[in-house]
Amino acid sequence: MAKQRTAVLGVGQTKYQSTRGDVSMAGLVREAALRALVDAGLEWSDMDAVVIGKAPDFFEGVMMPELYLADALGCVGKPILRVHTAGSVGGSTALVAASLVQGGIHRRVLTIGFEKQSESNATWALSLPQPFSVSINAGAGGYFSPIIRHYMERSGAPDLIGCMVAFKDRQHALRNPYAHLHQHDLTFDQVVEAPMLWDPIRYSETCPSSDGACAMVLGDEAAGDAAAGPVAWVHGTAMRSEANNFPGRDEVDPQASRDCAADVFRQAGISDPRSEIDVAEMYVPFSWYEPMWLESIGFAERDAGWRMVEEGATHLDGGDLPVNCSGGVLSSNPIGASGMIRFAEAALQVRGMAGDHQVEGARRAFGHAYGGGAQYFAMWVVGADRP
Amino acid sequence: MGEAPLRADLILEYPFTRTTGPVIGAFLTGLREGVLTGVRRPDGTVMVPPAEYDPVTSEPLTEIVEVGQAGEVVSWTWVDPPRPQSPWDEPHGLALILLDGADTPMLHAVLVDSPDELVTGMRVLAVWSREREGHIADLSGFSPEEVA
Repeated sequence: MAKQRTAVLGVGQTKYQSTRGDVSMAGLVREAALRALVDAGLEWSDMDAVVIGKAPDFFEGVMMPELYLADALGCVGKPILRVHTAGSVGGSTALVAASLVQGGIHRRVLTIGFEKQSESNATWALSLPQPFSVSINAGAGGYFSPIIRHYMERSGAPDLIGCMVAFKDRQHALRNPYAHLHQHDLTFDQVVEAPMLWDPIRYSETCPSSDGACAMVLGDEAAGDAAAGPVAWVHGTAMRSEANNFPGRDEVDPQASRDCAADVFRQAGISDPRSEIDVAEMYVPFSWYEPMWLESIGFAERDAGWRMVEEGATHLDGGDLPVNCSGGVLSSNPIGASGMIRFAEAALQVRGMAGDHQVEGARRAFGHAYGGGAQYFAMWVVGADRP
Repeated sequence: MGEAPLRADLILEYPFTRTTGPVIGAFLTGLREGVLTGVRRPDGTVMVPPAEYDPVTSEPLTEIVEVGQAGEVVSWTWVDPPRPQSPWDEPHGLALILLDGADTPMLHAVLVDSPDELVTGMRVLAVWSREREGHIADLSGFSPEEVA
């Protein structure tokens, strides 16, 4: 069955920062949602439904935030749905919203992801003790560091590739007014000399804890045609998941990741992702995940993703596939929003609205999120042209 | 049959914080000062406790208004005995109380000795805690208004 054409009509973000002490969660999501509506030139009453995502409830201690936030999101008398796929939730949320338009259920849908990390402790929430296993309270970094080491060993990557990614993303962040980290005086040496947090991950190679929200307004073809400004057309959407531990699992390059990428590129009619995609926003919470995902997604051959980093191919200045021009998760991480930021930034690029971090002439962009133990994947391809 | 499978206790605790924002924050500040507040909607009605966004139009609500310290019991239930985690040690009423000047009732305790003393439509008056810190517990409960 053919899907209805779907477009991103508007994007709204808050300035990501460590604490938004001036607003409640309701005020935070409202701010992003309103900006997305203004960008789309639409009103609350134009929205047919709201799809909201955030990290697991333990991250903030709010059960069912979707109920508490319905008023703030203009959802009176409309459906509100919550999506829940750990760190990838921002991406999955956007895709569930898109599916409501693609399926012809709704004409215009507001979708939003948010997090107030200042009111919580993500590492605590990620490290809940289990009665029958050792609790090491290591959070996400402790979980991913052995996987990263495995990648380093099997690919033969030089030790400082991760530092190159971290330095690049922090440089990119200086060109994005919404980014949390604006480290104007940061040097590459400082990145390298930062203390090891979870060997081989340095403190400088990890994401910050941020408060923030990101929203998008999605619409059907008629809504896309009626938009006053440029829209981003959805060319492909895919989600996959797998268990995080089973015999033979490739934790560096999960099958679900490869399948998801293959599916989204097939839908978009893309056979050579590196040459056909102009800019990518990928979920890179720890620096080494950039080369790892470049390979898994198909932008690079196996064990060769680090070469793209080394050659500067993923840099906004001079790279042929700029990655995370917004500064990425390494520069802003309101967890429940982080995936949606990737999707929204991809849309901004093909709309030509990415400001100082715009990739000149970007026509097709890739948005990516992953979550859990690298077991949930959400991806989309958006383009300036109608598919 | 062997022994029953072992059980393991699992206690998860974390002291979360909440940023209250300008509207809920004003309500809590009022409690600390011994004042009850609500928020006025565009149609003139007043919600107590206040909401940040209109429950019908979703428009932001910003006009904080003081309401009365007394009101009317709209409906009630009797709690006997209170559960161990109840804020109240003694049997008490829980009532929906429509404060003077408010258009939505607020849930709180009515501190009487017997359900015989509770009746829908009765007047009750706020009883404040001695120590107040900007929390709903600053309000100990309500007691029947003195009959003139």
